[in-house]
Amino acid sequence: MKRLIVLSCLLAFTMAFTGQALADGKALVDSNKCGDCHQMAGPAAATIADVMKRKAPDLFYAGSKFNKEWLVGYIQNPTQLRPAGTVYRNNIKTEGDKDIVGDLPKCASKLSAGDAAAVADYLMTLTDASMAAGVFKQDKFKKARAKILMKKKEACDACHMFPGKKGKPGKGGVSCPTFAGIGARLNPDWMYSFIKHPQHWDPKVWMAKREFTDAQLQLMVNFLSSMK
Amino acid sequence: MRKTTIVPAVIATFVFSFGFVLSMAGSASAESAADNYNLFCVQCHGTKGTGKGVNAPALAVAPRNHTSAKDMSALKDADVFKAIKEGGVAVGKSTQMPSFASNMTDAEITEMVKHLRGMCKCEGKK
Repeated sequence: MKRLIVLSCLLAFTMAFTGQALADGKALVDSNKCGDCHQMAGPAAATIADVMKRKAPDLFYAGSKFNKEWLVGYIQNPTQLRPAGTVYRNNIKTEGDKDIVGDLPKCASKLSAGDAAAVADYLMTLTDASMAAGVFKQDKFKKARAKILMKKKEACDACHMFPGKKGKPGKGGVSCPTFAGIGARLNPDWMYSFIKHPQHWDPKVWMAKREFTDAQLQLMVNFLSSMK
Repeated sequence: MRKTTIVPAVIATFVFSFGFVLSMAGSASAESAADNYNLFCVQCHGTKGTGKGVNAPALAVAPRNHTSAKDMSALKDADVFKAIKEGGVAVGKSTQMPSFASNMTDAEITEMVKHLRGMCKCEGKK
Protein backbone atom coordinates (compact mmCIF):
# COMPACT_ATOMS: atom_id res chain seq x y z
CA MET A 1 0.00 0.00 0.00
CA LYS A 2 2.86 2.37 0.91
CA ARG A 3 4.51 1.57 -2.40
CA LEU A 4 1.32 2.37 -4.26
CA ILE A 5 1.04 5.73 -2.52
CA VAL A 6 4.70 6.58 -3.28
CA LEU A 7 4.29 5.54 -6.93
CA SER A 8 1.10 7.61 -7.24
CA CYS A 9 2.87 10.64 -5.77
CA LEU A 10 5.81 10.20 -8.16
CA LEU A 11 3.46 9.86 -11.11
CA ALA A 12 1.49 12.94 -10.09
CA PHE A 13 4.72 14.91 -9.58
CA THR A 14 6.06 13.83 -12.99
CA MET A 15 2.80 14.73 -14.71
CA ALA A 16 2.64 18.08 -12.96
CA PHE A 17 6.29 18.80 -13.80
CA THR A 18 5.82 17.86 -17.48
CA GLY A 19 2.67 19.94 -17.68
CA GLN A 20 4.48 22.90 -16.13
CA ALA A 21 7.39 22.56 -18.62
CA LEU A 22 4.95 22.55 -21.55
CA ALA A 23 3.15 25.56 -20.13
CA ASP A 24 6.51 27.32 -19.65
CA GLY A 25 7.55 26.43 -23.20
CA LYS A 26 4.34 27.86 -24.63
CA ALA A 27 4.73 30.98 -22.48
CA LEU A 28 8.32 31.41 -23.70
CA VAL A 29 7.22 31.03 -27.33
CA ASP A 30 4.63 33.73 -26.71
CA SER A 31 6.87 36.09 -24.72
CA ASN A 32 9.71 35.79 -27.28
CA LYS A 33 7.17 36.53 -30.01
CA CYS A 34 8.22 33.51 -32.08
CA GLY A 35 4.84 33.79 -33.78
CA ASP A 36 5.80 37.15 -35.28
CA CYS A 37 8.01 35.32 -37.78
CA HIS A 38 7.07 31.63 -37.50
CA GLN A 39 3.57 30.40 -38.29
CA MET A 40 2.56 28.55 -35.13
CA ALA A 41 -0.80 27.25 -36.37
CA GLY A 42 -1.80 25.65 -39.67
CA PRO A 43 -2.70 25.45 -42.42
CA ALA A 44 0.39 26.36 -44.44
CA ALA A 45 0.28 29.23 -46.92
CA ALA A 46 -1.73 28.18 -49.98
CA THR A 47 -0.95 31.09 -52.28
CA ILE A 48 2.30 32.52 -53.58
CA ALA A 49 1.36 35.91 -52.14
CA ASP A 50 1.15 34.35 -48.67
CA VAL A 51 4.39 32.39 -49.13
CA MET A 52 6.17 35.67 -49.92
CA LYS A 53 5.04 37.00 -46.53
CA ARG A 54 6.73 34.09 -44.72
CA LYS A 55 9.59 35.34 -42.55
CA ALA A 56 10.70 32.05 -40.97
CA PRO A 57 9.88 28.35 -41.29
CA ASP A 58 6.45 27.11 -40.18
CA LEU A 59 6.57 25.54 -36.72
CA PHE A 60 3.06 24.16 -36.38
CA TYR A 61 4.32 20.66 -37.19
CA ALA A 62 7.73 21.05 -35.51
CA GLY A 63 7.17 17.94 -33.40
CA SER A 64 6.82 15.83 -36.55
CA LYS A 65 9.70 17.48 -38.37
CA PHE A 66 12.56 17.95 -35.93
CA ASN A 67 14.67 15.85 -33.58
CA LYS A 68 14.23 17.20 -30.08
CA GLU A 69 17.92 17.05 -29.11
CA TRP A 70 18.80 19.18 -32.11
CA LEU A 71 16.03 21.67 -31.33
CA VAL A 72 17.31 22.21 -27.79
CA GLY A 73 20.78 23.13 -29.09
CA TYR A 74 19.54 25.18 -32.05
CA ILE A 75 17.17 27.34 -30.03
CA GLN A 76 20.13 28.44 -27.91
CA ASN A 77 22.07 29.57 -30.95
CA PRO A 78 20.03 29.78 -34.17
CA THR A 79 22.02 29.82 -37.40
CA GLN A 80 21.05 30.15 -41.06
CA LEU A 81 20.13 26.71 -42.42
CA ARG A 82 18.82 28.09 -45.69
CA PRO A 83 21.71 29.82 -47.45
CA ALA A 84 19.34 32.22 -49.21
CA GLY A 85 16.93 32.62 -46.30
CA THR A 86 13.50 31.17 -45.60
CA VAL A 87 11.95 32.27 -48.90
CA TYR A 88 14.96 32.66 -51.19
CA ARG A 89 13.05 34.97 -53.52
CA ASN A 90 12.80 37.66 -50.85
CA ASN A 91 16.57 37.83 -50.36
CA ILE A 92 17.96 38.20 -53.87
CA LYS A 93 20.04 41.14 -55.05
CA THR A 94 20.86 41.65 -58.70
CA GLU A 95 24.31 42.61 -59.90
CA GLY A 96 24.16 43.27 -63.62
CA ASP A 97 22.12 40.36 -64.95
CA LYS A 98 23.34 38.00 -62.21
CA ASP A 99 21.44 37.19 -59.00
CA ILE A 100 23.25 36.92 -55.69
CA VAL A 101 22.04 36.38 -52.13
CA GLY A 102 21.61 39.63 -50.25
CA ASP A 103 21.64 40.32 -46.52
CA LEU A 104 19.64 37.77 -44.54
CA PRO A 105 17.48 38.54 -41.52
CA LYS A 106 18.63 36.76 -38.36
CA CYS A 107 16.53 35.02 -35.72
CA ALA A 108 16.51 37.34 -32.73
CA SER A 109 16.00 34.64 -30.10
CA LYS A 110 18.83 33.11 -28.15
CA LEU A 111 17.48 31.23 -25.18
CA SER A 112 19.22 29.71 -22.15
CA ALA A 113 19.64 25.95 -22.02
CA GLY A 114 16.72 25.60 -19.59
CA ASP A 115 14.38 27.79 -21.58
CA ALA A 116 15.43 26.10 -24.83
CA ALA A 117 14.57 22.70 -23.35
CA ALA A 118 11.14 23.97 -22.27
CA VAL A 119 10.46 25.46 -25.72
CA ALA A 120 11.63 22.25 -27.41
CA ASP A 121 9.30 20.23 -25.15
CA TYR A 122 6.42 22.43 -26.26
CA LEU A 123 7.37 22.40 -29.96
CA MET A 124 7.52 18.62 -29.90
CA THR A 125 3.81 18.59 -29.01
CA LEU A 126 3.02 20.35 -32.31
CA THR A 127 2.62 17.35 -34.56
CA ASP A 128 0.78 16.45 -37.74
CA ALA A 129 -1.34 13.36 -37.20
CA SER A 130 -1.36 12.60 -40.93
CA MET A 131 2.33 11.66 -40.88
CA ALA A 132 2.97 7.93 -40.61
CA ALA A 133 5.52 7.07 -37.93
CA GLY A 134 7.98 4.19 -38.22
CA VAL A 135 8.04 4.28 -42.04
CA PHE A 136 11.80 4.89 -42.25
CA LYS A 137 13.93 1.77 -41.92
CA GLN A 138 17.49 2.50 -40.86
CA ASP A 139 19.71 0.14 -42.80
CA LYS A 140 23.11 -0.25 -44.40
CA PHE A 141 23.22 1.56 -47.70
CA LYS A 142 25.65 2.22 -50.50
CA LYS A 143 26.61 5.87 -50.49
CA ALA A 144 27.63 5.69 -54.15
CA ARG A 145 24.12 4.55 -55.12
CA ALA A 146 22.56 7.33 -53.06
CA LYS A 147 24.82 9.91 -54.72
CA ILE A 148 23.94 8.65 -58.22
CA LEU A 149 20.23 8.97 -57.39
CA MET A 150 20.41 12.32 -55.61
CA LYS A 151 23.05 14.06 -57.70
CA LYS A 152 23.17 12.55 -61.19
CA LYS A 153 19.56 11.45 -61.60
CA GLU A 154 17.54 13.95 -59.54
CA ALA A 155 20.02 16.82 -59.23
CA CYS A 156 19.09 17.58 -55.61
CA ASP A 157 22.34 19.57 -55.46
CA ALA A 158 20.86 22.08 -57.89
CA CYS A 159 18.98 23.63 -54.96
CA HIS A 160 20.41 21.96 -51.81
CA MET A 161 23.99 22.23 -50.60
CA PHE A 162 25.72 18.95 -49.77
CA PRO A 163 28.15 19.12 -46.81
CA GLY A 164 31.81 19.59 -47.62
CA LYS A 165 34.43 17.06 -46.59
CA LYS A 166 36.56 17.66 -43.49
CA GLY A 167 35.12 21.08 -42.71
CA LYS A 168 35.44 22.41 -46.26
CA PRO A 169 32.57 24.47 -47.68
CA GLY A 170 29.78 22.43 -49.19
CA LYS A 171 28.70 22.35 -52.81
CA GLY A 172 25.26 22.91 -54.24
CA GLY A 173 22.43 25.36 -54.68
CA VAL A 174 21.23 27.87 -52.13
CA SER A 175 17.46 28.20 -52.62
CA CYS A 176 16.63 25.29 -50.29
CA PRO A 177 17.93 24.14 -46.87
CA THR A 178 21.47 22.83 -46.58
CA PHE A 179 21.98 19.10 -46.13
CA ALA A 180 24.82 19.78 -43.69
CA GLY A 181 23.68 18.41 -40.33
CA ILE A 182 20.31 17.33 -41.69
CA GLY A 183 20.63 13.91 -40.06
CA ALA A 184 20.80 15.48 -36.62
CA ARG A 185 18.15 18.04 -37.46
CA LEU A 186 15.24 16.17 -38.97
CA ASN A 187 13.07 13.22 -38.06
CA PRO A 188 13.72 10.61 -40.79
CA ASP A 189 10.00 9.76 -41.03
CA TRP A 190 9.32 13.41 -41.83
CA MET A 191 12.11 13.49 -44.44
CA TYR A 192 10.52 10.42 -46.07
CA SER A 193 7.10 12.08 -46.08
CA PHE A 194 8.36 15.45 -47.32
CA ILE A 195 10.46 14.03 -50.18
CA LYS A 196 7.55 11.82 -51.19
CA HIS A 197 5.11 14.72 -51.35
CA PRO A 198 6.52 18.19 -50.55
CA GLN A 199 3.23 19.93 -51.37
CA HIS A 200 1.43 17.98 -48.64
CA TRP A 201 3.45 20.00 -46.12
CA ASP A 202 3.82 23.23 -48.03
CA PRO A 203 1.42 23.61 -50.98
CA LYS A 204 3.49 26.28 -52.72
CA VAL A 205 6.97 25.05 -51.89
CA TRP A 206 9.39 25.46 -54.82
CA MET A 207 10.63 21.89 -54.51
CA ALA A 208 9.21 19.70 -57.26
CA LYS A 209 7.56 16.38 -56.43
CA ARG A 210 9.22 13.32 -57.92
CA GLU A 211 7.90 9.81 -58.26
CA PHE A 212 10.07 7.66 -56.00
CA THR A 213 9.77 4.01 -55.00
CA ASP A 214 9.91 3.09 -51.32
CA ALA A 215 13.40 1.66 -51.88
CA GLN A 216 14.60 4.97 -53.36
CA LEU A 217 13.07 6.96 -50.50
CA GLN A 218 14.69 4.66 -47.94
CA LEU A 219 18.07 5.00 -49.69
CA MET A 220 17.87 8.81 -49.74
CA VAL A 221 16.68 9.14 -46.14
CA ASN A 222 19.39 6.72 -44.95
CA PHE A 223 21.97 8.87 -46.77
CA LEU A 224 20.56 12.14 -45.43
CA SER A 225 20.31 10.73 -41.91
CA SER A 226 24.03 9.95 -42.04
CA MET A 227 24.82 13.67 -42.54
CA LYS A 228 25.19 14.66 -38.90
CA MET B 1 -44.69 33.30 -36.70
CA ARG B 2 -43.25 30.04 -37.98
CA LYS B 3 -42.73 31.54 -41.44
CA THR B 4 -40.71 34.41 -39.98
CA THR B 5 -38.29 31.89 -38.39
CA ILE B 6 -37.87 29.58 -41.39
CA VAL B 7 -37.26 32.24 -44.07
CA PRO B 8 -34.21 33.84 -42.40
CA ALA B 9 -32.84 30.37 -41.68
CA VAL B 10 -33.11 29.37 -45.35
CA ILE B 11 -31.48 32.63 -46.44
CA ALA B 12 -28.68 32.18 -43.90
CA THR B 13 -28.06 28.61 -45.08
CA PHE B 14 -27.94 29.75 -48.70
CA VAL B 15 -25.56 32.61 -47.95
CA PHE B 16 -23.29 30.35 -45.88
CA SER B 17 -23.22 27.63 -48.56
CA PHE B 18 -22.56 30.14 -51.32
CA GLY B 19 -19.76 31.69 -49.31
CA PHE B 20 -18.27 28.27 -48.60
CA VAL B 21 -18.33 27.33 -52.29
CA LEU B 22 -16.73 30.67 -53.18
CA SER B 23 -14.00 30.24 -50.59
CA MET B 24 -13.20 26.73 -51.84
CA ALA B 25 -13.05 27.96 -55.41
CA GLY B 26 -10.76 30.76 -54.27
CA SER B 27 -8.33 28.37 -52.60
CA ALA B 28 -7.79 26.54 -55.89
CA SER B 29 -7.54 29.65 -58.06
CA ALA B 30 -4.73 29.88 -60.57
CA GLU B 31 -1.60 31.85 -59.86
CA SER B 32 -0.43 34.30 -62.51
CA ALA B 33 2.43 33.17 -64.76
CA ALA B 34 4.51 36.07 -63.44
CA ASP B 35 4.05 34.89 -59.83
CA ASN B 36 4.78 31.27 -60.74
CA TYR B 37 7.92 32.35 -62.59
CA ASN B 38 8.92 34.50 -59.64
CA LEU B 39 8.80 31.60 -57.17
CA PHE B 40 9.60 28.46 -59.16
CA CYS B 41 11.80 29.57 -62.08
CA VAL B 42 13.83 32.47 -60.69
CA GLN B 43 15.91 30.22 -58.41
CA CYS B 44 17.81 28.94 -61.50
CA HIS B 45 16.80 31.16 -64.42
CA GLY B 46 17.21 34.40 -62.48
CA THR B 47 15.10 37.47 -61.81
CA LYS B 48 15.85 38.77 -65.31
CA GLY B 49 15.37 35.36 -66.93
CA THR B 50 18.89 35.32 -68.33
CA GLY B 51 19.80 31.99 -66.71
CA LYS B 52 21.81 33.56 -63.89
CA GLY B 53 19.76 32.67 -60.83
CA VAL B 54 21.20 32.11 -57.35
CA ASN B 55 21.50 28.36 -57.99
CA ALA B 56 23.16 28.75 -61.40
CA PRO B 57 26.76 28.57 -60.11
CA ALA B 58 26.01 25.10 -58.71
CA LEU B 59 24.62 23.73 -61.96
CA ALA B 60 26.67 21.65 -64.40
CA VAL B 61 24.49 22.82 -67.30
CA ALA B 62 23.72 26.54 -67.52
CA PRO B 63 19.98 27.27 -67.18
CA ARG B 64 18.32 28.47 -70.38
CA ASN B 65 18.30 32.20 -71.09
CA HIS B 66 14.59 32.94 -71.47
CA THR B 67 15.30 36.36 -72.94
CA SER B 68 17.26 34.96 -75.87
CA ALA B 69 15.05 35.10 -78.97
CA LYS B 70 17.59 32.98 -80.82
CA ASP B 71 17.53 30.12 -78.29
CA MET B 72 13.83 30.28 -77.46
CA SER B 73 12.59 30.51 -81.05
CA ALA B 74 14.33 27.19 -81.73
CA LEU B 75 11.89 25.51 -79.34
CA LYS B 76 8.32 24.46 -80.08
CA ASP B 77 5.68 25.63 -77.58
CA ALA B 78 4.71 21.99 -77.06
CA ASP B 79 8.28 21.10 -76.09
CA VAL B 80 8.51 24.03 -73.67
CA PHE B 81 5.22 22.87 -72.09
CA LYS B 82 6.56 19.31 -71.86
CA ALA B 83 9.85 20.42 -70.32
CA ILE B 84 8.01 22.33 -67.59
CA LYS B 85 5.45 19.61 -66.93
CA GLU B 86 7.64 16.52 -67.23
CA GLY B 87 11.13 17.88 -66.67
CA GLY B 88 14.19 18.39 -68.87
CA VAL B 89 14.78 14.69 -69.41
CA ALA B 90 11.41 14.37 -71.19
CA VAL B 91 12.71 16.61 -73.98
CA GLY B 92 16.28 15.29 -74.02
CA LYS B 93 17.65 18.04 -71.77
CA SER B 94 19.20 18.25 -68.31
CA THR B 95 17.99 16.34 -65.23
CA GLN B 96 18.56 19.59 -63.35
CA MET B 97 15.25 20.86 -64.72
CA PRO B 98 12.67 18.91 -62.69
CA SER B 99 9.01 18.26 -63.50
CA PHE B 100 6.86 21.08 -62.16
CA ALA B 101 3.62 19.11 -62.53
CA SER B 102 3.02 19.28 -58.78
CA ASN B 103 3.70 23.02 -58.63
CA MET B 104 1.60 24.22 -61.56
CA THR B 105 -1.58 23.05 -63.24
CA ASP B 106 -1.70 22.42 -67.00
CA ALA B 107 -3.54 25.72 -67.43
CA GLU B 108 -0.84 27.54 -65.46
CA ILE B 109 1.91 25.89 -67.53
CA THR B 110 0.11 26.98 -70.72
CA GLU B 111 0.15 30.55 -69.38
CA MET B 112 3.81 30.11 -68.46
CA VAL B 113 4.66 29.22 -72.05
CA LYS B 114 2.95 32.45 -73.17
CA HIS B 115 4.86 34.35 -70.44
CA LEU B 116 8.17 32.94 -71.74
CA ARG B 117 7.25 34.00 -75.26
CA GLY B 118 6.76 37.49 -73.87
CA MET B 119 10.20 37.37 -72.25
CA CYS B 120 12.00 36.35 -75.44
CA LYS B 121 9.74 38.47 -77.62
CA CYS B 122 9.67 35.57 -80.01
CA GLU B 123 7.41 32.83 -81.34
CA GLY B 124 7.95 29.13 -80.97
CA LYS B 125 9.24 26.93 -83.76
CA LYS B 126 6.36 25.67 -85.89
